Amino acid sequence: MKFYDALGLEPKLAIDLDDLKKRFYDRSRQWHPDRFSRSSSEEKQRSEEMTSMLNDAFRTLREPVTRAEYFLRESGLELSKDAPPELLEEVFELNMALEELRGGDESARGQLVLAQERFTGMLADADSGLSRLFASYDGKADAIVLEQIRATLNRRKYVSNLLRDVEKELNVHSAN
Amino acid sequence: MAYSDKVLDHYNNPRNVGSFDKKDPNVGTGMVGAPECGDVMKLQVKVNPATGIIEDAKFKTFGCGSAIASSSLATEWLRGKTVDEALAIKNTDIVNELSLPPVKIHCSVLAEDAIKAAIDDYKKKSENVGVESKAHA
Ligand code: FES
Repeated sequence: MKFYDALGLEPKLAIDLDDLKKRFYDRSRQWHPDRFSRSSSEEKQRSEEMTSMLNDAFRTLREPVTRAEYFLRESGLELSKDAPPELLEEVFELNMALEELRGGDESARGQLVLAQERFTGMLADADSGLSRLFASYDGKADAIVLEQIRATLNRRKYVSNLLRDVEKELNVHSAN
Repeated sequence: MAYSDKVLDHYNNPRNVGSFDKKDPNVGTGMVGAPECGDVMKLQVKVNPATGIIEDAKFKTFGCGSAIASSSLATEWLRGKTVDEALAIKNTDIVNELSLPPVKIHCSVLAEDAIKAAIDDYKKKSENVGVESKAHA
C-alpha cells in the first residue's frame, strides 16, 4: 500500500502515532524541494511528488477512520455497501425526532442534550470497537474482521452525522 | 458547486413529502442509505392492487439537496406508472433531468435504490397476501 510504503511502514491497521509523525517529519525534510534547487529537473520533480505523497499519506494514516477506509479500499473492499436496514430504521427515526425537536420550544433542549450524550457514547463505542478490531486484524489477517471494520465505519458515519446535527441545533439554541 | 435550477426548485418546494402507513398491504416502503455520506432516504408507493398502478408516492429524505431533489422527482415520476414501469426508472434519468454533477451521482443512485426497495417490498407483501388467502380458502 503506497501510503505505508512512502513512510516505510508495514501495512498495519494499528499504528503508533508518534512514530508516524517522526517518520513524516524525517522524510519530509529529506525530500524537501528546497534541498533540490540545484538538482536536475527530474530530481526536482521527484522531490515534489514525494512531498505531496508524504502529505497525503500522513493526513490519511493519522486518523483511524481515514486510515481504515484507505486500508479497506487497498484490500479491494468497497466502502459504499448497503447500510444494514435496522440501522437505517434507527437513524431515520432519530432524524425524525430531531426534526420535531427543531420545530419545538426550549423544553426540547433536555431531549437534545440526552441525544447528544447518547450519540457521543455510540461514537466512542464505535471508536473503541475499531481499535479492538484493528489489533485483531493485525494479529491474524481474517477477512471477517475486515467486514466488521467496514460495518463499524458504516455505522460510525451515520452516528457522526446525527451528532453533528444535534450539536448544530444545540449551538443555534444557545446562541439565541 | 452550484445546484441547477431544477434541483433548487425541488429542494425549496419538495413534492410529496410525507409517509403512508407501512403496514397497509398496498403500500411498499423502501428505506435506503448512502454510507459514503451517511444520508438516509425513505420512499413509499401506494399501489392499486386491481390495476397495478402506483396511485401515490411519498418520500422523506435526510440528506443533501441533490438527494432531496432526486427523491422528490422520483415520487412525481412514480405516480401513474405501473409497478414494472417504475422499475425501469434509472438513476441516469434523474441525473439528466436534474443536471447533477458527477460528485452527486450517488445521490441519484440512492433514489433509484429506494424505488427498487419500495417496489420489492410491495411485491413481497402482495405475494404473501395471495398465499394467505389461498391458505384460508
Ligand atoms: S451527498 Fe449523500 S446523498 Fe447526496
